[in-house]
Amino acid sequence: MSFDSIIELEDLARFYDMGGDTVKALDGIDLKIGRGEYVSIVGPSGSGKTTLFNLVGGLDRPTRGRVYIDGIDISKLDAYELAWLRCRRIGYIFQTFNLIQVLNALENVALPTVFAGVPRDEGLKKAEKLLQSVGLGERLHHRPTELSAGQQQRVAIARALANDPTIILADEPTGNLDLNTGTEIIDLLHGLNKKGGLTLVAATHDLKMIKASDRIVWMRDGRIEKIERG
Amino acid sequence: MGGEADRRSGVSFTVRDASRLGFDYIKRRMQRAAIVMASIALAIAFLSSLMMTDLFYRVYSRLSGASLSVETYQYWLVFVALIVSVVGITNAMLIAVYERYREIGTMKCLGALDAHIVMLFLVEAIIQGLIGGAVGFLLGVLTGLLSAGFTTGFDIILKVPVLDLIGYMIGSVALSIGLSAVATLYPAWRAARLNPVEALRFEL
Repeated sequence: MSFDSIIELEDLARFYDMGGDTVKALDGIDLKIGRGEYVSIVGPSGSGKTTLFNLVGGLDRPTRGRVYIDGIDISKLDAYELAWLRCRRIGYIFQTFNLIQVLNALENVALPTVFAGVPRDEGLKKAEKLLQSVGLGERLHHRPTELSAGQQQRVAIARALANDPTIILADEPTGNLDLNTGTEIIDLLHGLNKKGGLTLVAATHDLKMIKASDRIVWMRDGRIEKIERG
Repeated sequence: MGGEADRRSGVSFTVRDASRLGFDYIKRRMQRAAIVMASIALAIAFLSSLMMTDLFYRVYSRLSGASLSVETYQYWLVFVALIVSVVGITNAMLIAVYERYREIGTMKCLGALDAHIVMLFLVEAIIQGLIGGAVGFLLGVLTGLLSAGFTTGFDIILKVPVLDLIGYMIGSVALSIGLSAVATLYPAWRAARLNPVEALRFEL
């Protein structure tokens, strides 16, 4: 059986210059992630998880090596094409939710559709559907400050789905949530992966999240330490 | 992944989108917007009050044969006031950029281009300039009338050519918008150049 990979990392490295010293945040990562796979990236802080995310998401450029998304080498893309990639292909979920404070839930979820050039009415309609699907149909017009942490993360998940991406990158999505809320968010993400066929890559410390995943990539000092089946 | 054409037509953010978001920011962060608008309104009020006084004096001089005029040094004071206001707006907008570090980073993750971020801040500056300029002009006309009125009589306002008044109004508001936009260029550029990785890590 051939492995249909959606993300391919080839000898990926990212070095930072910190006052004359070279810090090797990532040093030679080779990894293939399959379409529809759920991969957890695990490792102590400073092991390079976030750097890996930034490179896969096209937010940062590698010092060495390549990132292929759907067979396309993203280091060859210009700023405009990278923006397109972030807008249409990748959905981001952050530990700190990062909702736009001046916008209500509906407008937050619709924001990516604005950048995608979707007409406003259509974008809002889609946002409403997405919010209903994450169980926030009653909270459409609440602002982030009027929502609980779990509800805010649901809004963020709905926002990540707004342009029908194929990949979801989640950086510690349950890191700021209590146990029960965290479990709900994990179930939600797991459902998207299993039912929606979305590729889910999550950096996490959360044992429950790790258990739910197909593969677990253990990182240490910018390298892959081991890969386990979930 | 879509074709080249698809990628080229992929990301957009119109002036209308920017205006909508800009209004939301002004509404929700009214305090800071109010300070910016007050700063520009005061400078414009100073300018238009002087221009009005000058206009009233000229009309009065023509009607009564007296000779009243505004001193040149007063225009220098107005000039300084406008500069101070520009510096004030730049400062306030820089703070706005810091406040929104993370939001700017998030927007870039969602597909915003540098140009979109510049546009968002410029639209805000233009809205603030428009409101500040209009308020400033009204204040200026009132204070100009008050300062000239005791010498020339308050009915002078009725004798002023309407076209001149409209011209001054348009000029004041245009200047206000222009100054506000110029003052915001640097903060907007700073915001647009933000590296999303650093922006997302930023804690205020």
